[in-house]
Amino acid sequence: MSQPVITVSNLKKHFTVYKKQPGLLGSIRSLWHREYETVAAVDDISFTINQGEIVGFIGQNGAGKTTTLKMLSGLLYPTSGSVSVLGYNPWNRKSAFQKQFSLVLGQKNQLWWDLPAIETFLLNQAIYDIPEAQFRKTLNKLVNLLDVKDSIQIQVRKLSLGQRMKCELIAALLHNPKVLFLDEPTIGLDVVMQKTLRDFISEYNREFGATVILTSHYMDDVKELCKRVIMIDHGKKIYDGLLSNIISKYARNKTLSLVFSESVTKKSLTEFGTVKNWNGSSATLLVSRKEATKIAARLLESLPVQDLNIEEAPLEAIIREVFGNKAKSA
Amino acid sequence: MWRFRQFLGSVMSLSVWSVLFTSQTDLFGYNRSEMISYIFVAALLQGLILASALHGLAQRIYSGEISTLLLKPISLFSYFAVEEIADKARNVFFTIIESGILIVLFQPQIILPPSEVFALFLLWALGGVLLNFLFSLLFGTLGFWSPETWGPKFLFFIFVDFSAGKLFPLNILPDWLQSILFFTPFPYLTFMQTQLFLGKIPVDEIAFHSTILLIWIILFTIANKYLWQKGLRSYAAQGQ
Repeated sequence: MSQPVITVSNLKKHFTVYKKQPGLLGSIRSLWHREYETVAAVDDISFTINQGEIVGFIGQNGAGKTTTLKMLSGLLYPTSGSVSVLGYNPWNRKSAFQKQFSLVLGQKNQLWWDLPAIETFLLNQAIYDIPEAQFRKTLNKLVNLLDVKDSIQIQVRKLSLGQRMKCELIAALLHNPKVLFLDEPTIGLDVVMQKTLRDFISEYNREFGATVILTSHYMDDVKELCKRVIMIDHGKKIYDGLLSNIISKYARNKTLSLVFSESVTKKSLTEFGTVKNWNGSSATLLVSRKEATKIAARLLESLPVQDLNIEEAPLEAIIREVFGNKAKSA
Repeated sequence: MWRFRQFLGSVMSLSVWSVLFTSQTDLFGYNRSEMISYIFVAALLQGLILASALHGLAQRIYSGEISTLLLKPISLFSYFAVEEIADKARNVFFTIIESGILIVLFQPQIILPPSEVFALFLLWALGGVLLNFLFSLLFGTLGFWSPETWGPKFLFFIFVDFSAGKLFPLNILPDWLQSILFFTPFPYLTFMQTQLFLGKIPVDEIAFHSTILLIWIILFTIANKYLWQKGLRSYAAQGQ
């Protein structure tokens, strides 16, 4: 079960971009004098991913997530370092390799815009050499799971974003890829649709033992699907491990929610920690993680506490803080 | 619309040359029926050789649109070739219909070549198709490095208009210019084929022209191989 399917070592991708001064004058100047700048989109990243894992890539816009996925798919040629996916070098674009993976870019579509989605499915059947029986079986299953039976006969341009995204996913999965790269698969979808897609990805992973890398701006996607996450910032890997460990590694505080049986003054709470909310009969306190249990015990002793809850800070807040600090120190 | 423009172009050429031939029987070595045959054959060859589905290729590369193709287990070039064939089939179909209308309107006498010349004509036409395909692919590689593909392309089209025999038979140009042009690939994109069809190429020159056509095809194949390899390495898969 735990063979490495994806191995990435010391991967780098540098882009050369030229800076242009704004306005017409800038455009004219740039004709003979251009300032070039090298941008390290991916800067010395290494990791391995085993079969059947769902790994979340998190990072801010422009952190290098999509660039990494594009290198893993063989679209981009790395500046240096090596990539191996399913034992292949993706850049060689061997068809044996291409038949075993799929890249879904949330904002880009492979569906033929003016034709019903079913036409793209049939084209993919021919391109990927999918036997008729297997094609019908997979298609039926995917169509039922995603509930798009009525949409696949309609011109893609007339579908809603959600329906289109589901059809994109079907087109990408018809050949039962063993490796799946999903870049923002739920972008622009409403919460119900996001949930449907998440359930579906999780089901696909379970059923086919597929290895999945997922990037998303929605922490819910990552929380629900990925045990392991890789955090990327300015092209560098800053964290690789269990999602649950992020909290213990980066969170400095816990939140204590208190409900009192009698009114309590705000002043009497300040000695225990930072008071975030207070209204006399209830309060929330921020306390240091290490001290949380001790402080809770002291609170129970000294104040008329009716109910007490110790909560971890929400993941979003921690990640915001991690990237925020990075940005400040950079 | 594009087809209609082509059609009007043919009507215009036919009318102009018809008027010119009312006062003279021989112009630049063409008699009336030869000139009319020239116009018909040239129109057909333009539909076959110069029409291309790949005019927007550079833009498709620059915008990152070819990414979806690059991810699939298909050869990029076979895919483009199929696109090209489909486009040409449609063009030739319409050109034949249009020619039918023109034949009814102008009732021309069209000279048909002997069958062995016709076979060679088809071969050269195929060579022309291949040459233009390679040309389009080569232009496409510009998209790997620059968004400005319109300028060079525009110049190329103007040049083709003059040097491929699209607007007029090249025979009206001075001899020295003609002999220079014959070493370039352009006349092989329509003009040479029409000359072969009309029996205006001396037998002893056929081998020479065939060789030039072949050399250009080989050169363009090599240039394409090199530039596509280089281009794909710097491909940025943008726009996503």
